[in-house]
Amino acid sequence: MAGPSVHKPRRKVQKREGGHTAHDRDANIRRPAFPLAAILWPARGFASQWEILPLILMAAGLFRWAAGLWGYSGFEKPPMFGDYEAQRHWMELTTHLPISQWYFHDLPWWGLDYPPLTAYHSWLCGKIGSLIDPAWFALYTSRGIHDPNLKIFMRATVIVSEYLVFIPAAVVFVRRFSRLSGVANWTASVALVAILMQPATILVDHVHFQYNTVMLGFVLATMSSMLAGRYLWSAVYFVAALGFKQMALYYAFPVFAFLLGSCLFPRVNLARLTGIAIATVAAFTILLLPLIIGTISDVKAGISPEPLLDGDNDLRSPPPPLLNGTALSAYLDPSASYYPIVEQLAQLVHRIFPFARGLFEDKVANFWCALNLVYKLRAFPPALLQRGALLATLAATLPPSLVIFARPDKLLLPLAFATTAWGFFLFSYQVHEKSVLLPLMPMTLLLAGRGGVMARETRAWVGFANLLGCWTIFPLLARVELRVPYAVLTLLWAYLLGLPPTSVSAYFDREDGVDGLGWRGWATAFVHGGFYLFMGFWHVLEMFVKPPAEKPDLWVVMNVGVGAVGFGICYLWCLGRLVGESGILGGGGGVDVVKKRQ
Amino acid sequence: MTEIYPSLAQCAVVAAAFKILLFPAYKSTDFEVHRNWLAITNSLPLWEWYYEKTSEWTLDYPPLFAYFEWIMSQVAKLVDPAMVRVRNLEYASWETVYFQRFSVIVTELVLVYALQMLIDSSPRGASKRAAQVAAISILLSPGLLIIDHIHFQYNGCMYGILIASLVLARKRATLLSSGLVFAALLCMKHIYLYLAPAYFVFLLRTYCLSPRSIFQIQVLNCLKLGGGIAAIFGLAFGPFAVQGQMPQILSRLFPFSRGLCHAYWAPNVWAIYSFLDRVLIVLAPRAGLAVRADALQSVTRGLVGDTAFAVLPDIAPRVCFALTVLFQTIPLVKLFAQPTWDNFIGAVTLCGYASFLFGWHVHEKAILLVIIPFSLIALKDRRHLSAFRPLAVAGHVSLFPLLFTPSEFPVKTAYTIFWLILFLMAFDQLAPASGRPRFFLFDRFSTLYISVSIPLILYCSLVHGVVFGKSYEFLPLMFTSSYSAIGVVGSWVGFMVVYFTS
Repeated sequence: MAGPSVHKPRRKVQKREGGHTAHDRDANIRRPAFPLAAILWPARGFASQWEILPLILMAAGLFRWAAGLWGYSGFEKPPMFGDYEAQRHWMELTTHLPISQWYFHDLPWWGLDYPPLTAYHSWLCGKIGSLIDPAWFALYTSRGIHDPNLKIFMRATVIVSEYLVFIPAAVVFVRRFSRLSGVANWTASVALVAILMQPATILVDHVHFQYNTVMLGFVLATMSSMLAGRYLWSAVYFVAALGFKQMALYYAFPVFAFLLGSCLFPRVNLARLTGIAIATVAAFTILLLPLIIGTISDVKAGISPEPLLDGDNDLRSPPPPLLNGTALSAYLDPSASYYPIVEQLAQLVHRIFPFARGLFEDKVANFWCALNLVYKLRAFPPALLQRGALLATLAATLPPSLVIFARPDKLLLPLAFATTAWGFFLFSYQVHEKSVLLPLMPMTLLLAGRGGVMARETRAWVGFANLLGCWTIFPLLARVELRVPYAVLTLLWAYLLGLPPTSVSAYFDREDGVDGLGWRGWATAFVHGGFYLFMGFWHVLEMFVKPPAEKPDLWVVMNVGVGAVGFGICYLWCLGRLVGESGILGGGGGVDVVKKRQ
Repeated sequence: MTEIYPSLAQCAVVAAAFKILLFPAYKSTDFEVHRNWLAITNSLPLWEWYYEKTSEWTLDYPPLFAYFEWIMSQVAKLVDPAMVRVRNLEYASWETVYFQRFSVIVTELVLVYALQMLIDSSPRGASKRAAQVAAISILLSPGLLIIDHIHFQYNGCMYGILIASLVLARKRATLLSSGLVFAALLCMKHIYLYLAPAYFVFLLRTYCLSPRSIFQIQVLNCLKLGGGIAAIFGLAFGPFAVQGQMPQILSRLFPFSRGLCHAYWAPNVWAIYSFLDRVLIVLAPRAGLAVRADALQSVTRGLVGDTAFAVLPDIAPRVCFALTVLFQTIPLVKLFAQPTWDNFIGAVTLCGYASFLFGWHVHEKAILLVIIPFSLIALKDRRHLSAFRPLAVAGHVSLFPLLFTPSEFPVKTAYTIFWLILFLMAFDQLAPASGRPRFFLFDRFSTLYISVSIPLILYCSLVHGVVFGKSYEFLPLMFTSSYSAIGVVGSWVGFMVVYFTS
């Protein structure tokens, strides 16, 4: 294995033995089961789905742009504004300051706390934006600026970044995954639209404002490379995802487990293992290289990473805590030539992983926040809570990782990613409500697989998780008056996929080859129905009833508690399906098919 | 095949979601115009509606539309009472925006209903499929999206009534209602007067005269139609006529003081004429032609008012009127001879064309008068389609200057391109071959024409701004309207030939 340059025929795995039935079943559907299928119905006869791909991408882009006409987080909300200001501020500081100061500059005002790739991305966006209007990113004076043209520029950077990373990755992934699963091309197009129109992603990135899709896109590219058997590239893409946003660590276990497992099973492949290791190290090096080289040249030029701000001594930022009185600091000589680099990296780590913060920051629909409603966790010492969170996270995320390690089956990838990400979201430390995008993304990919969007059960569960996820970020959106785009995008997606509150077809429609609902069908309908009813009831409450004066956060707290329970159920469903499909507990499962193909 | 997917309702739901997302988008002064009319009709007695002029945007639509505004204002005052105060000029609270934007979407249901009537009235099989695709193309029309849901107007509702009337004309039994619905439409928005000649000839021939002989008058039908129309006009204008307000209303409805070309040149023959004049300013000194110095500034400024030409002779309103009538009459002769429904729709389309191309002070928005009726028969065969294609491109591109704000730029261009790709592809698959040979090279011309639109849009939206900045602002507008004018005129000539040879 000399790396990814070895050309592999792309259509090698075109054996149809497993695919035939699925192809034929999809082709024989008499009528579309839900509106999205109806809308794409005329494209069924097309020989190639590439013909409608431009239309799909244009429509997805139009909805994104139109959603972006609404307000963003922190719009006209001084003093700190919001995520939008954070991203804008990073463009300001990266374009104006020497690189060694990026992670030190005025930390209380949205100090840079994302990994270097985000910083480079900000630099690029800031440079382009400064060509249009330098005032947008002027040092200090541009803070909290809300020029309407700047908003257009910022929205455009989100869309362009997404169309350069997430969209191509999603298109390629859906194509590969559906081929591998023996799903008809047309069905894959339906799934692609459902994935691209996922309301939570649009709401967080294009309305509330962030660049999650870049990180998610790199993760998708990782999975897509795994499907194609390009393991070295998958390592590189995953480093890029980590380098853009540390949240990608949610997926680190399954990535590691799958790559390691694919080097060990069915037979040990040391060359591949070495290659992956080298590629990972090389990618990390390239990621950090601009920062290191910049630091060295700044030191030579006599630029300190911790400059005085406006001549005020008090604003000098302290040395990185990792180097301040820890065991490590005893071995380091602040005057040595390597010290600035160590200091830079230590500051990077300190900024990216804020261990000093609490177990949960805001009200998030995860296990700890929900438990806190029942039992006040503040009574425990923080160290104990940290350890408890670590143990619980490991307990929740190791089983799926072990499954994918023991059965490195490509078809299991979305499930393994989704289960692990749910585990992290529910049990780990310092979770943000927007992190729900991480489990949702791979879970939604299930729509493109076998028994995907055309199967009642998958549609119901993926839909449930997505709508519940949107519902838990509603308080975040409502704070900046984004109720309308929330309602429109969520209801539109629910409508397209035939989900409550617009339809119950995902639960009660007749399905070919399945008699009646069965106990699983009834249980699903019952559980989901309960949640949907509650969500509707909650929206009515939130809209028309003021919470009691002594409990102003009551509605949000209810949202968090119910959301956490629902996510827990989603975790269990993903885990159950992962274990079932892997066949690790005895059943045949899909592994044999894939092994034959390899 | 019992049902064709996607259904009209499914498309309407998705489109409505998109339109709601466009609520915060740019809105033109028409938004304030309609808010002002809500206020006038709500807070003033009937007799003052057409005299009120606190705002410069006085009521200049016929009375049925004023009644329509009055009905909406009953809801509006519950939403935000400040919205319906005449003195509250430029009032745009978020309740007002939500209400007005939402009212456009709700009243557009008339269009959805009319389009469903169109589908239901089509014979089963291939032509029902074609009708469904045509209906969806009208529902999703970028013209309606740009004009109604961003710029702000109520065309969706009006064109819904027009289509309902056109569909009713399909069956003998509903001819009377077709005429009456159209009369009501005229009392809502008088721009549809341009299409009235086709209605007159068609109803005269099919309803008032015997199908066997044109010399046999069906007196009862004449009485029913005449009485019905008189009743509708009486209902609309009667109250005002009793008070002797008709001259005032007419002066509001037909303001003759405006110039030949609207602020942006609508893509008609006068746009080509003006463009030629501009070119001649440069060439005239060499050719020895006289240039009127006082006219040099006027056209490029693009203000509403008199348009003066520097080299070419000025155009009088009489000339416009005569040309319009002439080119409307030609297709009507054929309609009178063969009063089929297809010919009727063709004649309505050609009446729209004639008035758009030769009319006085034509608005670029009036292109919908051509595009929408044409959509109903564009799928008849490939010859119709090849005449429709340049119109679809030119008509929609010519609407681009209506929206000039940067955040709406991606919406208008991406949406129009999306619509053009989708429906020109779909139409191409559905339109049956014609029994007659194609025009010589006409398809080549239209392909070339369509491909020119891409560099044109790029130039107007991007390159011009980079190269010239804020100067020569009229250039992109002039190029857009001249380009579109060529397409509209070309498709008109093409359709004339198709109409007379099929």
